[in-house]
Amino acid sequence: MRILLAEDDPLLGDGLRAGLRQHGFGVDWVRDGRAAERELRGQPYAAAVLDLGLPLLDGLDVLAAVRRAGITLPVLVLTARDAVPDRIRGLDAGADDYVIKPVDLNELAARLRALVRRAHGQPQETLVVQGVALDPAARSVRLGGTTVALSTREFDLLHVLMLNAGRVLSREQLEQHLYNWGREVDSNAVEVHIHHLRRKLGSALIQTVRGVGYGLAREPRPGPAAPC
Amino acid sequence: MLKAPGSLQGRLLRLVLGTLAAVWLATALATWFDVRHELDELLDGHLAQAAAILVVQQARELEDDDDRGIDTPTLHRYAPQVAFQVFHEGRLALRSANAPLVPLVPMVAAGERFQSGLRTVTIDGLAWRVFAAQGAERDVQVYVGEQAASRAAIVWAALRSTLWPMLAALPLLALAVWWAVRSGVAPLRRLGRSLAEREAQALHPVAAVGAPAEMTPLLEALNALFGRIAGLMDAERRFTADAAHELRTPIAAIRAQAQVALGESDDALRHHALEATLAGCDRATRLVEQLLTLSRLEAGAAAPMSTVDLSDLARRVLADAAPEALARQQAIELDAAAPCMVQGDATLLAVLLRNLVDNAIRYAPPGARIRVALARHMGGVRLVVEDSGPGLAEAERRRLGERFFRVVGSGQSGSGLGWSIVRRIAAVHRATIEVDRSGTLGGLAVEVDWPA
Repeated sequence: MRILLAEDDPLLGDGLRAGLRQHGFGVDWVRDGRAAERELRGQPYAAAVLDLGLPLLDGLDVLAAVRRAGITLPVLVLTARDAVPDRIRGLDAGADDYVIKPVDLNELAARLRALVRRAHGQPQETLVVQGVALDPAARSVRLGGTTVALSTREFDLLHVLMLNAGRVLSREQLEQHLYNWGREVDSNAVEVHIHHLRRKLGSALIQTVRGVGYGLAREPRPGPAAPC
Repeated sequence: MLKAPGSLQGRLLRLVLGTLAAVWLATALATWFDVRHELDELLDGHLAQAAAILVVQQARELEDDDDRGIDTPTLHRYAPQVAFQVFHEGRLALRSANAPLVPLVPMVAAGERFQSGLRTVTIDGLAWRVFAAQGAERDVQVYVGEQAASRAAIVWAALRSTLWPMLAALPLLALAVWWAVRSGVAPLRRLGRSLAEREAQALHPVAAVGAPAEMTPLLEALNALFGRIAGLMDAERRFTADAAHELRTPIAAIRAQAQVALGESDDALRHHALEATLAGCDRATRLVEQLLTLSRLEAGAAAPMSTVDLSDLARRVLADAAPEALARQQAIELDAAAPCMVQGDATLLAVLLRNLVDNAIRYAPPGARIRVALARHMGGVRLVVEDSGPGLAEAERRRLGERFFRVVGSGQSGSGLGWSIVRRIAAVHRATIEVDRSGTLGGLAVEVDWPA
């Protein structure tokens, strides 16, 4: 899952990027407000981690500009401004979560997963589509009760498709979701991963819409959770 | 030594009542003597007239009847205080009932020459005012006397009627003074109460409602003091908030890097994260040190001043900083031939120098030239730290020294506190700072001037 990190402090930015990568996120790191706004307008990030005290353009201004532009991605504000009025301002400006520095990396990752999940209308952590269960926290996939081993790319691709179940995503969109800056993308990388996923999970799961892209059929909404 | 001032009320009371009593006493004394004098003149005149009448009358009556009793009846209650004698040819011819048989003026009996006129004599321990007169043939001598005490009684009676009301007025006056002072100092008492009831944090001005004009300077001074303290506390609070805020980011960095190191299986990446953790600790330490320095400076702790040779100090600071500059392939040089003496605190001045030099090293790119120069200038001392780096835009130069202001895109993780510290130290030493573009090297030039 590709996220944007906007943080001007070199040490903290470096640590957050490394830590979020450990949790399976693809992280693009910008160090000022202008760059943050530019990237958020131009790229389909799953979520953004936004510092408020950014050079050139304050994080709150970035947030307001992005929201005005109709970009609805989940934004987690990570800041040292801990006063209640600051938090209120942040949330009112369009933040989906407001976290005070310092933050535990595991918690940050969990919050980001929750934000992404909610943004896709998924109430539960584990995504289930046609008998395939994907757990983003454990980064595990099960098919009918047995664990299926997937590569990082395969997992990310499946995650994106499952989050967007019921929608068709183009190859370019999938590439943008999967690859960070500076990574070489093979022209047929997406097709190769789709092929592998079909082999591991059954060919009926991922459907091809010729000339448009790939998608998963949405299942009927699950009813109230049955008692365990 | 100053005496304890005591109560205002007591002092006023003593002063007003004492003055009043003294004035009244003086008035009474003056009245006493004045009335006494006038009364004496009047009564003496009466004595003389009475004597004259007696002389004339006696001269006539003696020829008529020689065998009448010599005592006359007492006709008035004041009569015992008044007495007269008429002698004819040395014999007592007529007297009032209370007059003695011997002449009121004894000398005459001793055969001395008779002296007419007024005198005061003592008879049986009582003072008498006596007028003596004699007839034309010198055979009739008349003495008319009056007890001196009766005169005093008259004066005393006159005085009494004015003194009594005055005496009675004294307690009333005391009461009035007491009440006036009490109501006069009531605003003071109210002020004291309202100050005593204040919370330590309450620094709003004291209301001057109902306070007399005399209290206005006190209230103004008090409110000005409150204002200054509020300003100080505000600065302190802001500083604490800023400091806490500023520490969050380094601590967040340390935490993130440490957590990355814990979760990293790749040796090189773990090593990088651990290095970054240490760098974060160093940065936090530096920040804490700077905050402490700044807070000490802002608390206004007066630095002990001594004569410091800036040239010598700069040499030591540059010796410490040079390895860092060399590591960045920067050429750093000191141009300070002569000793440059200033009054100041050597430790603080070293901090100022180190901050300026560190800034130059950190913000000038690798390979840049850095020059530190010390020279006498206009009777004082001028320090110039300049570099061949990109320098700063006008707007950025102006914002230097704002606490926690950082130059964007410097790639340096400074706290922005160094400049605040430099400015504070300069202020403590009454030195002025100018930031400009370096004329010789093209980068940033910082000029610090110590006045003569």
